[in-house]
Amino acid sequence: MAQKNPPALSYLTDQLWNSNQILVAVLGICSALGVTNRLSVAVTMGLSVSFVTAFSSLLVSALRKITPDSVRMITQLAIISVFVTIIDQFLQAYFYSLSKVLSVFVGLIITNCVVMGRTEGMAKNVTPLPAFMDGLGAGLGYMLVICIVGAIRELFGFGQLFNYQVVPLSWYASPENPNGYENFALMVSPPAAFFIIGGMIWLFNLINKK
Amino acid sequence: MSHPLPNRGPSNAKVITFIVILSFICALILSTLASALAKPKEIAQEIDRSKQMMIAAKILSHEGYFLIQDKDGKYGPAKVENGKLVPGNVNDIPSNEQVLEIYKKRLKAFLVDDKGKIFSFKEAGINEEEYVAQNKKNGYYKLPYRLLYEILPNETDEKNAKPIGYVIPVNGYGLWDAIYGYIAIEPNTNTVIGISWYDQKETPGLGANIAEASWQNLFPGKHIFQASPNGKTDFKTSGLGILVVKGKVSEVLGDIPKAKSAVDGMAGATLTGNGVTDAYREVLSAYRPFFISLNAENKSDNQKES
Repeated sequence: MAQKNPPALSYLTDQLWNSNQILVAVLGICSALGVTNRLSVAVTMGLSVSFVTAFSSLLVSALRKITPDSVRMITQLAIISVFVTIIDQFLQAYFYSLSKVLSVFVGLIITNCVVMGRTEGMAKNVTPLPAFMDGLGAGLGYMLVICIVGAIRELFGFGQLFNYQVVPLSWYASPENPNGYENFALMVSPPAAFFIIGGMIWLFNLINKK
Repeated sequence: MSHPLPNRGPSNAKVITFIVILSFICALILSTLASALAKPKEIAQEIDRSKQMMIAAKILSHEGYFLIQDKDGKYGPAKVENGKLVPGNVNDIPSNEQVLEIYKKRLKAFLVDDKGKIFSFKEAGINEEEYVAQNKKNGYYKLPYRLLYEILPNETDEKNAKPIGYVIPVNGYGLWDAIYGYIAIEPNTNTVIGISWYDQKETPGLGANIAEASWQNLFPGKHIFQASPNGKTDFKTSGLGILVVKGKVSEVLGDIPKAKSAVDGMAGATLTGNGVTDAYREVLSAYRPFFISLNAENKSDNQKES
């Protein structure tokens, strides 16, 4: 019975942790590696993906009864592309400097497996409200993970958080003090995200073992 | 009549109608959006470009407030008042309209030909907007008419105020992709006022540091003409450009005159540094005739600085 009609909110909370798209389904990894070297970029990307997954799930679910089964994938893709283009244009118009950093990654949300995974895996089978909640949860769960990765990478790679210097400049190595602190250069390159996400999945499984 | 086969779903006609209607609605939404946002997008790009140019010209700081020179030539924060900059403090972050207003007042586009002669866009018969947009990708320095911006002084009472510097668009290749920026020089055509790089896709944390304030701040005061070992600069023959050395200038070049035309490299970004060096050499060389003729003018005006 609980399986038949769970409250709509549970769709959202479930996506945040128990079936987190990155940690459990290991989807959306490409952008999670590419756009997590600064926290501000990760937040923007997370919000964009949340917007796209939430609204495309809503629309796919609303159209689920009239969508012919043979073209459902194309329909989903068209709907997703509309929302991605909306976000992309919006960022270019009002957050130009961020859109320069995100560049191609916003457009690539279309091919982000998280979005299509949710529309195909959930939204086409349920009513609009749970679909919306599920999509929103998937996006926020994705955002949660990439923000943690982004925070770790920015802190150790640049010594900053949200572009604000956290590690005191006086700690850094200088000609007088050559043994001082130095930024961890690996952290700013994408492979670092591999290790961090891998470590997070390990921790996640450790916590959820019981 | 009975159907031996299970229902195979809607007919082809229905499927096609569905897809056509869906595509039409999507297209309608997107085209409405594109035309609605075209203007803000254009403005956003223009503001970004103007800001980067003003950062190179030291009219705007990296932190986003305007800069003004005091009597000793030191830069301090400023704010806009009656279309002019007056001393302010670091919290006076200008609005986008103010940025564009000051940009239009302080920076004026010109063209120079390969003899070093200056033309306005009208004299050359070229549409400024089209010219700037069309040649952005490949750069302006290879064209018969090269783009140049005059920096006009803050107090412009007379119509023909003497420019207090020049901004030259610079482009070249970094490690991964093309890089675009500006360099501003003083009227003596040698001393750098400032630089900026606004479009680059270098490695974050390494080569991408060319877009960081801390590295760009190494440039002011450098000389674009590389002096010979005896300290002489000949505008006709001296090497042009700014060297991004591997390591520290003080260690690599010491205090020879050429060290005035070199900046510290970024650790781990030697190839980006080489790209920057090449970009400055190639672009600035194309403007050499202009530098020579401007210096001849300076001399005859008897206003040459030592």
